[in-house]
Amino acid sequence: MRLNLYEDKNTSDEHVDVYYTNMRPVIRQIIDTVNSERPSLQGRPADEDIDDGEEILLDPREIYYLDHIDRKLFAYTKNGVYRLMNTLAACEEMLWNYGFVRVSKSNLINIYKIKQLKPDLNMKVYASFDNGERICINRSYKKSFNEYLQRMRRMS
Amino acid sequence: MTGKIKEYILEVCCVFTLMSVIGAIVNIIAGTETNNINVIVMFATCAIATLVLFLHKLFDNVSPLVMIIVQYLVACALVGLMLWLISMFISPITPKGWFEFYRSFTIPYIFLAGFYYYRVFSETKKQDKLIQEIQENNKAESN
Repeated sequence: MRLNLYEDKNTSDEHVDVYYTNMRPVIRQIIDTVNSERPSLQGRPADEDIDDGEEILLDPREIYYLDHIDRKLFAYTKNGVYRLMNTLAACEEMLWNYGFVRVSKSNLINIYKIKQLKPDLNMKVYASFDNGERICINRSYKKSFNEYLQRMRRMS
Repeated sequence: MTGKIKEYILEVCCVFTLMSVIGAIVNIIAGTETNNINVIVMFATCAIATLVLFLHKLFDNVSPLVMIIVQYLVACALVGLMLWLISMFISPITPKGWFEFYRSFTIPYIFLAGFYYYRVFSETKKQDKLIQEIQENNKAESN
């Protein structure tokens, strides 16, 4: 996508025009940014030793997956694990444009971070990430996962 | 629960109708005839097979391989019970009869399990390709 930036010191009406062929995730992300609605998740380091009490803003693009354990929600990134105060359902709704899809009762994964999708010999299907971790894709979510992939391909 | 029972009965009816029609076609082609007991056994077999497939939803958290094995063992137990009831109350079944019955449901079961195994692998491969494609498109958009 071509990006044109025009600096005009005298303008009082800053604006953004977007020309697009179809409404796809990247366009929605631009709209969210312009409307200041770009989702950013606030989290604190899950490791209490490095938690200084300050909240960190997490970019959804940096998150590999979200895991809901013992009524707590954790975000896994390359640099660490963060505890979020949102609910998994809210994150699912907020982040579907950003490649996040539910693959089990307690996991949302970022399809842009998947290194490989592979079944084990016992037929369980796992999504592997480049941090070496893997998440099982539950059978009951297989259909919705597939539909999500098809939709994202059509939109991209 | 009532919804599940209704769904189960509906499935049994569909499977039994299909099996009856196939059985009738086979009888016409082979020139054989069936009897009332065979029809009842076929219905019981359809009910067992449908019940075993319905168990699928209970094994969401275990691996499909374990699920297939458990389903097979449950099917064996239910078929054993059915054959025992027949031999007790209707007519005795010879050891060969037991063997034949087990063989006639084990072979298609193994075949279908193999097909399921193949589908899991082929579908995952397709999804993996799809993910790579989406990621490449996204990279191209970002650049």
